Amino acid sequence: MMDKSIKELHELLISKQVTSDDLVKESLQKSHEVDEKYNAFVTILDDAKGVLVNDNYLSGIPYGIKDNYSTKGILTTGSSNTLKDYVPFFTATAVQNLEKCGAVPVNKTALDEFGMGGTGTTCHTGNVLNPWNKKRMCGGSSAGSACAVASGVYPYALGSDTGDSIRKPAAYCGIVGYKPTYGLISRYGLFPFASSLDHCGVLTRNVEDAAIVVDAMKGKDDKDLTSFDSSNMHLHASLNGNVKGKKLFYIKEIVDSSNYPNMDDTLKEHLANYFKTLENLKSLGVSITEVSIDKTLLQAIPSVYVCLSCAEATSNMSNLTGIIFGPRGNGNNVMEMIKDHRTKGFSPLIKRRFVIGSYILQKENQEKYFVNAQRVRRLIVDKMKELFKEYDGLILPVGTGPAPFIDGSTDHVNNSDTSILEEHLQIGNFGGFPSITIPNGFINDLPVGINITGNCYDDENVLNIAYALEETMNYKGQIAKENNHE
Amino acid sequence: MSKFTKEMVDSYADKLLIGLTEEENNLVLNEFEIIDENMELITKIKDIEKVTPMTHTLDDFTYELREDEYVESINIDDALSNSDSTEGRQIKVPNVVEVTK
Repeated sequence: MMDKSIKELHELLISKQVTSDDLVKESLQKSHEVDEKYNAFVTILDDAKGVLVNDNYLSGIPYGIKDNYSTKGILTTGSSNTLKDYVPFFTATAVQNLEKCGAVPVNKTALDEFGMGGTGTTCHTGNVLNPWNKKRMCGGSSAGSACAVASGVYPYALGSDTGDSIRKPAAYCGIVGYKPTYGLISRYGLFPFASSLDHCGVLTRNVEDAAIVVDAMKGKDDKDLTSFDSSNMHLHASLNGNVKGKKLFYIKEIVDSSNYPNMDDTLKEHLANYFKTLENLKSLGVSITEVSIDKTLLQAIPSVYVCLSCAEATSNMSNLTGIIFGPRGNGNNVMEMIKDHRTKGFSPLIKRRFVIGSYILQKENQEKYFVNAQRVRRLIVDKMKELFKEYDGLILPVGTGPAPFIDGSTDHVNNSDTSILEEHLQIGNFGGFPSITIPNGFINDLPVGINITGNCYDDENVLNIAYALEETMNYKGQIAKENNHE
Repeated sequence: MSKFTKEMVDSYADKLLIGLTEEENNLVLNEFEIIDENMELITKIKDIEKVTPMTHTLDDFTYELREDEYVESINIDDALSNSDSTEGRQIKVPNVVEVTK
C-alpha cells in the first residue's frame, strides 16, 4: 500500500479498509528491507504506532524525517560522528506541525554530513545507494529521503535544501522534490548549514502530495524570525492544472548545445529529452521563451555558492565542540578537547569545506571573496526577479543527466564546462525562490528530472505548472525498479 | 608554483580547531588552486564594488520582536538525561580556568 499517494491512503483509512497501524507496520517492514539494500536510514522507529485517523489527509500516514531535523527523544545525528549519540529535547517546528495533523514518523533518513554534500556518500552510516541501480548515487544531501520515497517506504519524506539538496536527489531517484519560498516553512530545529540559503522542503512521488505536505508544514513561527505569515496561501487547493497562457523562460547559456562542444551521448539525450518535455507544456498553452543572460554572471554561480555556503557553515558549526553536544574529546584543556572532538568527528570532505570557509573569512580575503559573493548574489537574484516580472517561471533540466556512479564520485570542486548546468539550481537558494523538480524521463534506464522555479511567494503558480506538466507524462507515482545491468 | 602551502592549509584549519591528517591536507591543497581560480570569477564582474551586498534572502521581511514574556526553559531532567557526564543534578564540564602553580 505504501506505493499509493497520500489521498489514496487517506481514502483507504477513512473508509476503514486499512488502519493506521497497518500502514505503519508495512512502512516499518519496508524500512528494514530498504535499509538492508540501500542503507537509507540512520534510525528506524520500530516502536512507532498508528494513530486515530481524522479528516486531515496526513493523519495516520507514515513518513520519514531527514536526520537534520531535531526530534525530541529521538536520535538526531545530522549523519555526523560529532553528534552520533545526540538526542534533542525539542522538536523542529515543521515536524511539530506534521504531528498536529496526525502524521506518523517511522524513520530518520541519512544525509550527507550536516547536509554538506551532493552525493549521499558522506553519511556517518555509509553510502546511500540508488534504488534504480545500486552502483549509482542518490545524490544529496537528502539521499536517504529520496531513496526511501522512491522505494515506496511511504509517500513522503522531509528534506532540506541549501544548494539543490532536495531537487537533485529527487531527479536522480525519479521522484518530486519541492523547496518552497524561503521562510514559508520554519527552520527552527533544522540543523543550520548556511542559514541564508537553507530551506525546509519535501520529497514525494507526485506534485499533489508535495502541496498537501507543505500546506501542513508551513506557517509563521515565533522561533524563526525569517518565517512569514502564509495563511493566504493554499497550495493544494490551488492546483487546477489550468496553465493556458502561462509564460516560462529558459536560459540559452545553460541549455543550448552549442555551449557544450564536447558533450557526450548522455548529455545530448538529456537535453533532447528536456526540449521534448517543453513541447508538452506548449501543447497545454504555455509559452516558452529563450532568454540570454550574461555568461560571466552565470559562471560565477558555483563560486558564489562555495563562498557563501562554506563561510556560513564555518560559523554555524562553531558550536560543535563536544562540550555542549556530542562525545567529549580528549585533551589537557578545553581547547585541546574541542580540537580532538572536531578532528575525529568531522569527515575529510566536511573539513575541506571548513578550511575553504576559513580561508574566505580571513580578514584579507573577506571583501574580495565573501562580500563580493554577496554582491554577485544580488546581481543574479535581481536579474531573476526582473525576468519573473514578465514570466511565471524558469524551466531547466536538472543536472547533466542521471545519477552518477558512486565509484569515482568526488563531491569536489566542479571545474568543467558543464558546471553551470550542474549547479544552476543554486539560483533558487540565492533568491529564496520556490522551486520544484519532477521526473521527466529515463536515460540508460535511469530517471532524470526537470525543474521549475518561480518568484518568491508564487508557490501556488509554480506547483500548478508542475502539476499540469506531470499529467502529460507517465512518471507520476513511480516506484524504483532496480536495474543493475551495468 | 602554487601560492598555497601545506602550512597555510593547516593554519586555516587550526583557526577552526580542526586538525588535518597528511591525506586531508593534500585533499584541500590539491583543490585550493582551482577553488581560488573559480572564486576569482566573482571579482571579474564589472563594477561589482558598486553593488550592495545581499545579506538576507528576502528583501521584504521584517523583524518582529517577540513580547518579553517568561517561558519555561529546558527541563533539568531532560538536560541531564542528554549528558553522559553528570554529578548529582549538575552536568560536569571541563576546567575552563587553568590553574598555574
